[in-house]
Amino acid sequence: MTTTLTPASPAGNRCRQPSSWARTTARSPRRPLTTAASYRKLTPPPRPQIIKIPSQGAKPRRQAPGGGGDGRDRGGGGQRRGGVAKSKSRRRKGASAVSVEPHRHEGVFIYRGAEDALVTLNMVPGHSVYGERRVTVTEGGVKQEYRTWNPFRSKLAAAILGGVDQIHIKPKSKVLYLGAASGTTVSHVSDIIGPDGLVYAVEFSHRAGRDLVNVAKKRTNIIPVLEDARHPLKYRMLIGMVDVIFADVAQPDQSRIVALNAHTFLRNGGHFLISIKANCIDSTASAEAVFASEVRKLQQENLKPQEQLTLEPYERDHAVVVGVYRPLPKSASK
Amino acid sequence: MVLLHVLFEHAVGYALLALKEVEEISLLLPQVEECVLNLGKFHNIVRLVAFCPFASSQVALENANAVSEGVVHEDLRLLLETHLPSKKKKVLLGVGDPKIGAAIQEELGYNCQTGGVIAEILRGVRLHFHNLVKGLTDVSACKAQLGLGHSYSRAKVKFNVNRVDNMIIQSISLLDQLDKDINTFSMRVREWYGYHFPELVKIINDNATYCRLAQFIGNRRELNEEKLEKLEELTMDGAKAKAILDASRSSMGMDISAIDLINIESFSSRVVSLSEYRQSLHTYLRSKMSQVAPSLSALIGEAVGARLIAHAGSLTNLAKYPASTVQILGAEKALFRALKTRGNTPKYGLIFHSTFIGRAAAKNKGRISRYLANKCSIASRIDCFSEVPTSVFGEKLREQVEERLSFYETGEIPRKNLDVMKEAMVQAEEAAAEITRKLEKQEKKRLKKEKKRLAAIAALASSENSSSTPEECECFRVPSGTWHGSYLVTSMVGSFCKLFSGLR
Repeated sequence: MTTTLTPASPAGNRCRQPSSWARTTARSPRRPLTTAASYRKLTPPPRPQIIKIPSQGAKPRRQAPGGGGDGRDRGGGGQRRGGVAKSKSRRRKGASAVSVEPHRHEGVFIYRGAEDALVTLNMVPGHSVYGERRVTVTEGGVKQEYRTWNPFRSKLAAAILGGVDQIHIKPKSKVLYLGAASGTTVSHVSDIIGPDGLVYAVEFSHRAGRDLVNVAKKRTNIIPVLEDARHPLKYRMLIGMVDVIFADVAQPDQSRIVALNAHTFLRNGGHFLISIKANCIDSTASAEAVFASEVRKLQQENLKPQEQLTLEPYERDHAVVVGVYRPLPKSASK
Repeated sequence: MVLLHVLFEHAVGYALLALKEVEEISLLLPQVEECVLNLGKFHNIVRLVAFCPFASSQVALENANAVSEGVVHEDLRLLLETHLPSKKKKVLLGVGDPKIGAAIQEELGYNCQTGGVIAEILRGVRLHFHNLVKGLTDVSACKAQLGLGHSYSRAKVKFNVNRVDNMIIQSISLLDQLDKDINTFSMRVREWYGYHFPELVKIINDNATYCRLAQFIGNRRELNEEKLEKLEELTMDGAKAKAILDASRSSMGMDISAIDLINIESFSSRVVSLSEYRQSLHTYLRSKMSQVAPSLSALIGEAVGARLIAHAGSLTNLAKYPASTVQILGAEKALFRALKTRGNTPKYGLIFHSTFIGRAAAKNKGRISRYLANKCSIASRIDCFSEVPTSVFGEKLREQVEERLSFYETGEIPRKNLDVMKEAMVQAEEAAAEITRKLEKQEKKRLKKEKKRLAAIAALASSENSSSTPEECECFRVPSGTWHGSYLVTSMVGSFCKLFSGLR
């Protein structure tokens, strides 16, 4: 029961929902996921020696990577074929110098060293936002500082490492971030979009909002908004039209919140990324059913989903849905 | 023929735009949709009538607060009255928020509309705003949003409406933690001193008394008849004091040096001061609860009430919960387990620790728990939303629960709810009036003092021939009511910090 979201898409079935495995294959309910301690050894993470899922031939979690496939090591997708990854990892350890290479997604990088990691270019060199590790690499005589991005703490990093096709957050884009919490992932988004972009970070909790305002003091492309995302009209004075909405709010009426914000602030042809926590929407229903019902609710509000991806092995029963809002007519697209 | 205007609020100021005239508003929708992306076409449909920038960041913040609450600010009123045609019947004003539309309609008399084509037009305006207004660039508009966003957020954090609840939540968490820690430390003292005087552990059961005794006795060899009186005072039991004296003579504990004894003594004095601090924290919590939620604390007690508030996050959150949630607050693990496996859901959560549940027979526990949760919900709502909270309702509700309990035991019919509430309302009004009178008196006294002080300062200033004016001294004025609370809080936090710095 694969859920097809864009059956006519050239890349084939874009849904990466693990429908035929994981839930139906034998797996104890208390199977431990990859622990944070093994995070350091991780990139791209789904290496069979780390995932404790009995691979059973490692049914690839997504079909042949469509148009995006390229020779460079991607953050996640291709590595999930069982057995192949082992040899690749051995080959990579042979490579000598510490280096940083760009990821397929613009603004994101991969740090290749003793341990591989997902990193972003630090907009405020010399400062850590939440105590994360920073690495300095000399490129062509210029010292660049990068901050490591922990996929266990950040849903966006988990999605990137999980192999999402497009995150749509690029340098110079304007992002509306709902559910910004203390600003840990927001700081990485701010690194990606650079000083010319803008991220409007909406967070309702005052305790977390205090930390968010402190992060925003150093990074001038973050605008903190301490207001309930359920009422976008209350903060309409502070926000302009955005290109991307990223929602990580963990509320049962999440789809409605995203829809309201999209109708007010998301431009035509803009994209959205929503992180869905199945437990939060309905704790008694199965995760697949919850994701399917959320996708249906989004479609009713003119938010067209294009990709769905679960965040295993970083989070349990979480999925990320990426889509487009009011897609521009093909004739008008550049 | 209606002149459709649209109001757009931005961080830099208010903008009033006019649309080209059409017969029917709905005819606009397809045109707007196709030209929203194209700036040139958009200009054909919409033109800027007036733009009123904010004078300063302070003014911008006030306006942002007014817009978020749906209130019409003076600047907005000015803009609308100046630039909209005076024939109010011919004008239709499109706004983003129905609340502010209703407010404008009420205060200024213009017809307002939201939704549909207005929403589309506003989207277009938001996209092209920096092009519509002369002298405004994308960068400067974003800078204005940045500044306003920061000041708005800082204001929200600073004037947090839940600040009293935060004190209660922190106090109750601290109380629980202190209990655990004092217990652990007392166990440590027992172990440690027990090497020297093991029999004392068996004689004295109470932790605080043991620590005091350990501190007082010191070296057990020095115990003699003279100290018997003091021992009796500490233990409050003559027999025990005698037993201690006897045991000290024939103890099997080892001898320890003076320096070891000094360490034990200093540690046990720390434990004693911690338990004294715990007492004062308990009284502080009781006073805060009776200030913030008197009915709730009259009904179920301060500790349980504070735990409920802490679990819910704030008194407002607790008031918003349905009574069934209040009933099982604190038993979430059991609840979701039961829901998933379709078993029996728990009957009580934090409510269990109030006295009533213990007193009910086994088969009535569930019923009393539901009844109590219902009354708690009522009490918390009364506390949260009344202007002057009193404990009258709490006491009446408590009587009702008692009556219900005795009904289950003896079969005696309780009073009707209607009668009890009527009594309660009468009493509550009197109590509220009393409290408001007291507050007014206090306010008057304070104002008098302020005036005297200002006059004295002014007199001093004029006698010294300096140029300071009475207006400058206004900065000394402190908002009423908060200084007392903040003094109490800082003294509690201060004493807590002192204890722990000493402990290190």
